[in-house]
Amino acid sequence: MANLLWLQGGACSGNTMSFLNAEEPTVPELVVDFGINILWHPSIGLEIGDQVTDLMNDIKAGKTQLDILVFEGSIIQGPNGTGTMNYFAERPMMDWVRELSEVAGFVVAIGDCATWGGIPAVPPNPSESTGLQFHKKAKGGLLGSNYKSKGGLPVINIPGCPAHPDWVTQILVAISTGRIGDVLIDDYHRPKTFFTDFVQTGCPNAISFAQKVDGHFGKRGGCLFYEVGCRGPMTRASCNRILWNRQSSKTRANHPCLGCTEPGFPHHDLKKGSVLKTMKHLGFLPKDVPTGVSKFGYYTRAGFEKVLGGLERVTGTMQEHFETSK
Amino acid sequence: MSQIKELNISPVGRVEGDLDVKVVMDGGVVTKAYTQAAMFRGFEQIMAGKDPQSGLIVTPRICGICGGSHLYCASSALDTIWKTQLTPNALLLRAIGQATETIQSIPRWFYAIFATDMANKKFAHHPLYQEVVKRFSAYVGTSFQRGVVASGRPVEVYALFGGQWPHSSYMVPGGVMCAPTLKDITRAVAIMNQFRNDWLETIWLGCSIERYLRIQSWEDLMEWVEENESQKNSDLGLFIRASLEFGLDKFGQGVGKFIAYGTYLHKDLYNRPTVEGRQRAVISPGGFYDGKNFHAMDHLKIQEHVSHAWYQDVAAAHPWNEPLPTPLESQTMHNTDWGGKYSWSKAPRFDGYAAEAGPLSRVIMAGNPDNLDHQIKDPLFLDIMQELGPSVFTRSLARVHEAPRLYNQIMEWLSQVDLDGEFYIKPTEQDGKGWGATEAARGALAHWVEIEDGVIKNYQVMAPTTWNVGPNDDQGNAGPIEAALEGIEVADPHDPVEVGMVARSFDSCLVCTVHAHDAKNGEELARFKL
Repeated sequence: MANLLWLQGGACSGNTMSFLNAEEPTVPELVVDFGINILWHPSIGLEIGDQVTDLMNDIKAGKTQLDILVFEGSIIQGPNGTGTMNYFAERPMMDWVRELSEVAGFVVAIGDCATWGGIPAVPPNPSESTGLQFHKKAKGGLLGSNYKSKGGLPVINIPGCPAHPDWVTQILVAISTGRIGDVLIDDYHRPKTFFTDFVQTGCPNAISFAQKVDGHFGKRGGCLFYEVGCRGPMTRASCNRILWNRQSSKTRANHPCLGCTEPGFPHHDLKKGSVLKTMKHLGFLPKDVPTGVSKFGYYTRAGFEKVLGGLERVTGTMQEHFETSK
Repeated sequence: MSQIKELNISPVGRVEGDLDVKVVMDGGVVTKAYTQAAMFRGFEQIMAGKDPQSGLIVTPRICGICGGSHLYCASSALDTIWKTQLTPNALLLRAIGQATETIQSIPRWFYAIFATDMANKKFAHHPLYQEVVKRFSAYVGTSFQRGVVASGRPVEVYALFGGQWPHSSYMVPGGVMCAPTLKDITRAVAIMNQFRNDWLETIWLGCSIERYLRIQSWEDLMEWVEENESQKNSDLGLFIRASLEFGLDKFGQGVGKFIAYGTYLHKDLYNRPTVEGRQRAVISPGGFYDGKNFHAMDHLKIQEHVSHAWYQDVAAAHPWNEPLPTPLESQTMHNTDWGGKYSWSKAPRFDGYAAEAGPLSRVIMAGNPDNLDHQIKDPLFLDIMQELGPSVFTRSLARVHEAPRLYNQIMEWLSQVDLDGEFYIKPTEQDGKGWGATEAARGALAHWVEIEDGVIKNYQVMAPTTWNVGPNDDQGNAGPIEAALEGIEVADPHDPVEVGMVARSFDSCLVCTVHAHDAKNGEELARFKL
């Protein structure tokens, strides 16, 4: 049994919608079978108006125990640090979050907005948005780098735009079944169990990446890293191991990975030439190279593969790995 | 003695976003209502000066509920600016994405957002209440669980073509990113088939889709309910009977004018996208209905008013001519000047009129006798408007009425995808002004975009919720939800479920209203604690 309160700040509700797609367990199962008692949720809670205000005041006063505070959406601090661009129950939402974080057992930030500011924090950041404990890659955010909840952990960041429902439900089940000790978090406070491997792990086009075969929109086969800006090699997430909607993933549907589980999404702040395009030096060298590889090493190895692959094609070597079919 | 009282309700909840409502009551009857959207993110400022394709990434994330709809608009707007070519496959796969998102929303909205209110104790004295509680109660209701789980199925089809739902960007100017294979199509067909077997025909209709679609009038619908036990006791049968028993057809009328842009661009009629050619190419027709007559949808007749929104005052203007909004200081409900600026939502008007957007608008347009051969023709809701008029019930019935037809359309479009055909034709980027529109699940959605010097100069998003939740306009005319709240009776001010039901019948989605906030009244009146 764990009491959960879910609030939204500068949110699109995408993480809630993703959460409602959950399968193992489903949201009703989470409530009925795993004892997650949802005190209130903006999309499915029954209470309105001062009923919600009273609930939050009871939590602050210790009359109602809050085991898990889930926050979705950015922390809106504008204008001028007042937070009044996002009133909730007659007060700036950021004030509620600061106070509820003091009494919560665990605080879980869901989605890029809550973790590090997300799209609302893209310059000029009109709403002065930030994340709960990070602002883009920098520690801090609303609660500050030293914050720990009563349960002894900093904010547990489950990034993604949106977060995959499994990433959310499995952490909630871990908390409610006493396995929180197995939740290890990385430098960005992400649970390592989901955010150690890269999106490229399990991508069906990994071999095209290795051998430098280009893909493009509307085309079967080929790697999207070279032309349309896929960030699979530099993005930690389990998208190709735990599929989306039980069916697919962006790269499986020929959609470049946007790098949305890494702080800084949307990368390069949407500047001209950065959206669904690979940014390049000298017109052919990718500016962003796979994580953990030096640019020089990457360019050298990639150049070697590219040249060798081209030679093989010219000399008629069969490249059966790159055949496609409808 | 009648006593005027006012009720500040913050938050309203289950409207997808931050909606606050202030109602002024006289003897328990609402005499004036104000809707306040309470959150500002400034997406339009964020996109100014950025990559022209930013809308494909950013706008689906304005609203995670209607992300596919925003993507449909964003890609369409660029299509009209870049003068792309769209293949039949591209148009089909975009339509399938839009339609699967919308049909997903029907059970999800009905069970998670709307029907839980029918289990409110306010209705406990009615004979059908026990059955409603058993099926529709939050989390534990027998149909709540099945409906919420079923709602995830259609977006599995979206994921087959878009990679994931929500928040894909698979629709791009010139077509779609994906190039599906046989197994994607066959699997999509099988998933939809399961959705029909697991929920749509068995739990929801209690009959075949074909039988349901034979209903042409209110009288037909009443006969359908009583035709057999299966239909009478289906969730739709129960919803109709309980709504009439609970009186949901008696409140929440609104402004009586309706707007739809229409959607689902026909695979063979929009291969050379233009703003002017759009309305003739849509399968679900658009238009403006003034309560008596139909008028053609002309986007140039749309203006946004900001005199009651927390933005610097500018004259009412068409979105192409609007400056980026400059936010002003907002207030709590308690401190709001309700005669002045009181919301982050702008007030859109068509030809000067407030208009309701949403499924009810769409099904009314479907009754237009002038609809073209490829467009939907369905007289049911014109008849229901004659018989009952608009109400919480009418609006909700319109919403769920779309599911069977959408199912058939999705299956038809899947059958038309040509696996040997092209899915994408690379366009040439250029400057210009464009318009992209659609019908999101909850109504008319459009993006007006201007590209200059290869970057976004102006990006204006007008969401269905902007139409519905918008504040008073420059002339002081109420927005649709404000109007729909006037005249309702609030039985228990400590649990004003009626206010919530009206708001939820519009399925307003505040996260879409890129702009929204608070209200004030000159004199200090009694204030209820909710």
